[in-house]
Amino acid sequence: MDDKATLELMHLRGQITRRQLLVGMGMLAAGLSMASVLAACGPSSATTSSSTPKRGGTFRLGVTGGGAKDMMDGQNITTKPDQARLVTAFETLLVYDEDYKLTTDGLAESVTQDAPDQWTIRVKQGIEFHDGKTLGADDVIYSLTRMLTDPKLFGNAGLGSVDVNGITKMDDRTVRLKLKGPDSTIGDQLGQYYNGIVPVGYKRYPGTQNGTGPYKLDSFTPGQQSGHSRNPNYWRSGQPYFDKVTIIDFTDPAAQVNALLGGQVDAITDIPFGQVSVVKAHSDLTVLESPGGGWLPLCMAIDLPPFTDVRVRQAFRLIADRQAIVTQVLSGHGRVANDLYSPFDACFASDLPQRHQDLAQAKSLLAAAGQANLTMDLHTTDGAAGMVDIANVFAQQAKGAGVTLNVKNDPNYYGDQYLKLAFSVDFWGTRNYLPQVANGSIPTAPYNECHWPPANSNYLSLYKQAKAEVNPTKRCQILHDMQKLEYDQGGYIIPFFNDLVDAYSSKVSGFKASKGTLNLDSFGHGFRTIWFG
Amino acid sequence: MASGPSGSANAFQPELIPGGSAAAARAGTATGISPVWGFIVRRLLLGILVLVLVSIVVFVATQALGDPARAILGRSATPASLAALREQLHLNQPVVAQYFTWAGGLLHGDAGNSLAAQEPVTKLIGDRIVNSAVLVLCAGLISIPLSVAIGSYAALRRDKTFDVATSLSTLVFAALPEFVVGVSLVVIFATTVFHLLPAVSLIPPGGRPWDNPVGLVLPTLTLVLAVTPYVARIMRASMIEVLESDYVEMARLKGLPERVVITRHALPNALGPTFQVIALNLAYLAGGIIVVEYVFNYAGIGGALRDAVSNHDLPVIQALAMLIAGLYVVLNLLADIATIMVTPKLRTRL
Repeated sequence: MDDKATLELMHLRGQITRRQLLVGMGMLAAGLSMASVLAACGPSSATTSSSTPKRGGTFRLGVTGGGAKDMMDGQNITTKPDQARLVTAFETLLVYDEDYKLTTDGLAESVTQDAPDQWTIRVKQGIEFHDGKTLGADDVIYSLTRMLTDPKLFGNAGLGSVDVNGITKMDDRTVRLKLKGPDSTIGDQLGQYYNGIVPVGYKRYPGTQNGTGPYKLDSFTPGQQSGHSRNPNYWRSGQPYFDKVTIIDFTDPAAQVNALLGGQVDAITDIPFGQVSVVKAHSDLTVLESPGGGWLPLCMAIDLPPFTDVRVRQAFRLIADRQAIVTQVLSGHGRVANDLYSPFDACFASDLPQRHQDLAQAKSLLAAAGQANLTMDLHTTDGAAGMVDIANVFAQQAKGAGVTLNVKNDPNYYGDQYLKLAFSVDFWGTRNYLPQVANGSIPTAPYNECHWPPANSNYLSLYKQAKAEVNPTKRCQILHDMQKLEYDQGGYIIPFFNDLVDAYSSKVSGFKASKGTLNLDSFGHGFRTIWFG
Repeated sequence: MASGPSGSANAFQPELIPGGSAAAARAGTATGISPVWGFIVRRLLLGILVLVLVSIVVFVATQALGDPARAILGRSATPASLAALREQLHLNQPVVAQYFTWAGGLLHGDAGNSLAAQEPVTKLIGDRIVNSAVLVLCAGLISIPLSVAIGSYAALRRDKTFDVATSLSTLVFAALPEFVVGVSLVVIFATTVFHLLPAVSLIPPGGRPWDNPVGLVLPTLTLVLAVTPYVARIMRASMIEVLESDYVEMARLKGLPERVVITRHALPNALGPTFQVIALNLAYLAGGIIVVEYVFNYAGIGGALRDAVSNHDLPVIQALAMLIAGLYVVLNLLADIATIMVTPKLRTRL
């Protein structure tokens, strides 16, 4: 299942609140496009705290969004506490740093694109699993094969271009991947937190949770809590610092905040916006606000009236007062966006001018298109945090341009009408540009709400060129052209990217605000770069 | 209490039950069975009938929660995947057949499998039932004697300071929803004013609530504050009525010590109506505990029910609804029996 769909499911099932879902977008990470050779690396930079890491203690994390569906799997999650649990025990071949740059600080010594359709992975020497077994090529092959053969795992879609019969063991530490076609995004996928490396024969909980990560699983009760103890044989010297980690499910965000205020937990994810000032008022607590990359688009289907006329699409994009939407939908915890996605991609077209509300221009574009005083439906559902709010706020703003939007909130939106509507709201997490296009902006994408691209556009041929291009500079140029096309003619109105707002007790050191993948600085890099002191 | 409370009361109110005792004695002699047993059997049969009706209502009501297949699939729902999942969940069977499959399973102690957790419902909620029961029990053990004592004393001190003060404060607490009481207690005792007690009650997996008694204090206190006002007020009203009755006056005229008048004659008669209120409140606790468990993150049936509703996890919702309904029936039965036992007037009319 697609990670978006899973998050949405989590919301439908009430495992995460509206707010959490929005915030959750940020963790479905993507990364920077891969250079043909991933040489530049180095460990993630030292922590900003001046104190020296100290050993000991039990770190208690409070997380909302869990429930009976909680699970533990090195390559899958259902709920937010599952994410925290996954990173205690499992690690990936490549790792994103806090600036969203892909590094070889993970299990791989190198990940190389030898040819447009061939990649080679070499793992570091001497890394051991919890049970003492040394990490080798067979484990990498087992992990990749598991992802490619189980459609329920996230890696299944992301690594779709890898030929499951084309994975070869070159030596004890080296694996070669043959692809079905050119794909320069394999490195991105290998850095996703959910594409963890598991040992040969691994099975999800209640199977043994044997990973290379900093903590071993002691106990796990879905919907309540899980206990983890320090892996004394961990490969990064000195780490981790805690003796034990406890991940505790909370149903009520207010109870979670109370537990932090009362000292029963040491950190919590996703403070309710209304409680941020309460937490900030406590001198012994710190609010950690990190820039996330989740987004809620208003989607105009470019082949359905009235959006077949590009002027109507342009007019609608000029209706949006983005700052007002950030204030009203996110209580200010987000950044204004410019109808483009993938803000952390190295090739993000940040040079394109920021769009602002221009109702006069919108009116004249609509009049020119013969759509003055347009009345139509805007479809949405309570499927993700803010999806209904954003529709209502936009409908209010549209009145200024003489457009009447009737907001239709339909519980059966997904399944019945989705992807068939002229004007609708959807939700996405952050991905790099090319993986996102594969998911939502080409005819073969599973969730192409805008029915992009137009028939006469060269967008598709640009996409094929980009996937085959191994030179990062040239590829960036192509990506820029693609983004320009979407910026000028596209069907998305993207008003914002959301932030992640977490909090921790000041007796914990080592947390940093990092560009949004997982909450709380990727849960303190799997609870290994944080300590008491 | 040699003669027993009801015996004493009976002795003082023969004029209130003209012909009653005689009729009861005749019935008893004729059948050879105490009429109380006949009553209990009748109530039991009625209780079972009520449970059957409740099971139908629960089953029909949970159908109205919406299509679980659609809820589970979310955005990835396609007509084909919906059909496949409905098949897997037996949602294609006629509703009547689904009901009998489910009700039949319940009779065998099999509540089915949770849709969300993919494991037996009984395993999923077993520990949580124990946790919730402990909380209800603690609240009941404290609030019942407390409210009976407060109500009785307030009646004895009618219109004096104690009565006025408790009347006012019980009115205030009765008007406050539990979550307001709970959150206020947290603010006062855990997070803001004092840091004496834990703000949330975390029960480690495999642990029991009593392993960490201090964690039970605030949730129990919240429930006690929610229940005591009602019971105390009923107890006070009931006690005042009894104290003004002829037989209490008679007892006093006989020269019995006031302590005996109250404990042997007034209190047992005042308890009758109070039992009904206590039963209703205990049953209410089983349902109302949901809010309290939510505020304190207490791992009980409330959290499970909430989780199940948002997951559209029908088997769990149905099992918990039946559990709470069963509790209502049993508690009402017990209250009726207890009322009969302390009220000769009713007992003899069976």
